[in-house]
Amino acid sequence: MPEPSAEPGEEIIRSLATDERREMVPPDAASLQIAAVEAGPEIAGAAAGRKRLGIGAWLAAIWLILVIGSAIAAPILPIPDPKRDSTLPELSSDGSLSVIAAAPSLDHPFGLDASGLDVFSRTIWGGRASLIIGFVSIGLGFLVGGFLGMLSGYFKGKVGGFIGSLLDILLAFPQLVLAIFVVEVLGHTVWFVTFALAIVATPVLARITRASSLSWSEREFVVAARAQGAKHGRVMLREVLPNTLPAMFAIAILSVAVVIVAEAGLAIVGAGVNPSVITWGNMISAGQADLKASPHIVLAPSLVIFLTVLSLNYLGDVIRARTDVRESAL
Amino acid sequence: MRMVLSKIVRLVVVLFVVSFLSFWFVKLIGGNDDLVAKMIPFSSEQEKDRVRNELGLQDPFFAQYGHWVGNFVTGDFGQIYLGAGDNISSVPVSETVAKRLPVSLELMLYAQFLALFFAIPFGILSAHKASSRFDKATNVTAFGMLALPQFVAALLLVIFVGARWGWLPTQSNLPNFPLNPLDNWRYMLMPTVALALAQIAIYMRLLRSDMIATLQEDFITTAKAKGLPTRRVLLRHALRPSSLTLLTVAGLNVGALIGGAIIIERIFKVPGIGGELAEAIFRQQTLEIQSLVVLIAFFYVILNFGVDILYSVLDPRIRHARAVS
Repeated sequence: MPEPSAEPGEEIIRSLATDERREMVPPDAASLQIAAVEAGPEIAGAAAGRKRLGIGAWLAAIWLILVIGSAIAAPILPIPDPKRDSTLPELSSDGSLSVIAAAPSLDHPFGLDASGLDVFSRTIWGGRASLIIGFVSIGLGFLVGGFLGMLSGYFKGKVGGFIGSLLDILLAFPQLVLAIFVVEVLGHTVWFVTFALAIVATPVLARITRASSLSWSEREFVVAARAQGAKHGRVMLREVLPNTLPAMFAIAILSVAVVIVAEAGLAIVGAGVNPSVITWGNMISAGQADLKASPHIVLAPSLVIFLTVLSLNYLGDVIRARTDVRESAL
Repeated sequence: MRMVLSKIVRLVVVLFVVSFLSFWFVKLIGGNDDLVAKMIPFSSEQEKDRVRNELGLQDPFFAQYGHWVGNFVTGDFGQIYLGAGDNISSVPVSETVAKRLPVSLELMLYAQFLALFFAIPFGILSAHKASSRFDKATNVTAFGMLALPQFVAALLLVIFVGARWGWLPTQSNLPNFPLNPLDNWRYMLMPTVALALAQIAIYMRLLRSDMIATLQEDFITTAKAKGLPTRRVLLRHALRPSSLTLLTVAGLNVGALIGGAIIIERIFKVPGIGGELAEAIFRQQTLEIQSLVVLIAFFYVILNFGVDILYSVLDPRIRHARAVS
């Protein structure tokens, strides 16, 4: 590593070009996507110099609070039952029978799906599983990957090499393919899908943590702590970890977005959560049957995913720009 | 040369471990009997036993693994079992792969080409005019494209361009390229665009940030001071070093492209490997899934190996660093 930099996006690009290229299995696609999000400070970073958050950050935060809040509060919200017995058409408020796969209306803002269920209500309920998968798998991946990455960045020699080749094996599979494989062998439950995506996320997060802790481990205060006789564990915990955390937090937020998309991707391929569970991915997967006549079934969850990913990317970018020492000092 | 040799050793080790782990994982979790019962649920017990025998499931673990790997490297990727009752027929996976792999490669090649075709000029221009209005507009667009999942782009295309406006075909048999190139392109256009959109944003933003750094180097100032036209400075002096990064990124990105292609092929019913994988998942053909996954992983690892070698051949700094060390 050349001079220590607190900008992980740039670090990835630089490492792509030079250092890491000595390893045969190179960094992976998801970290590329993260690097791409972070490549330009132009979007959210413009707000970094100012003390106040821009309007974009507020919009993104409000949207996320809305989505997460409604997912948590789904059981007590006054919305139709997302799993009502689909064989019986229900009397809607104006007394007419609900039409199967009806287009959006005042009663049903996102319309009805092919079984006559309310798409708006299903989108809110679907958020529960999708968001759990997104946040829990990144939480898991962050714990394991962050720990491994920290170790291999701090102890460069043999430990780092061993952990590195361990991660290389996981990176030898294209990410979606690995997730499909794990889910197929383990089973199609929410927790197995979460676990599969955590496995996929671990090497990515480990690699990025490694890059960050590599550069921090060479700083003077770390050397000073060592010289004073502090044990490795303490130095890692008290000196390196607090410095890598802000950047890692930004990356984690970006990764949640990647995983939410991956859940839907798995569902479309047929390797997602069991179709009886409502997730955004399952809604899209089921709605594909009749795209021409009733596109709203697919468009509603797609739009929610898009806005959620956009908000997560934006917030991740803002956090990165704000925690970046070099940039915020300007 | 030593470098290349040690890389090859590493390659073989990675391939070995990947194949072993995949095999072990299926055995460990899947269990032997489950697999056959899952693959052909409607067949009689005798048939299931016959298939179990055929697969050699009684053999010790390492014998099974050896057999499987031996078959695998000689191009026998196992069988797809079809049918019910006493009539279980089997199709070799390799036959399907031979038929479907070219389609997937074609799709990924088009997407990669399209992505670079748009990303390079936009990346150069927005680096050249950094912080200009053009730069900001492209950046915001790219940011939005990054947040647009490939399947959403694909579904939008199917709904509007395909179904509502009927401009392009969505579901038909893919015309063979050599026989009917125009129809082939018409069919491939939407899957390609859906797959390429996010890549355009990735390449553009990475190229832009890489080129902004390059443009601050001394040799660029020198070139400008010599009075070279901007166009020449950008293309000959600035793009060249950045193109190495771009090459690496494009190589690495094949992993994402493979994942994306699986989803896209599913949505557009493109008869490629990804479509086959989805069908195998639907039919619960765990062994076929295993073969396809290992095959894709092998392809990916070997491709990365190729990019790595190419990279060290192209970049004189790395070549020299290695010669010295």
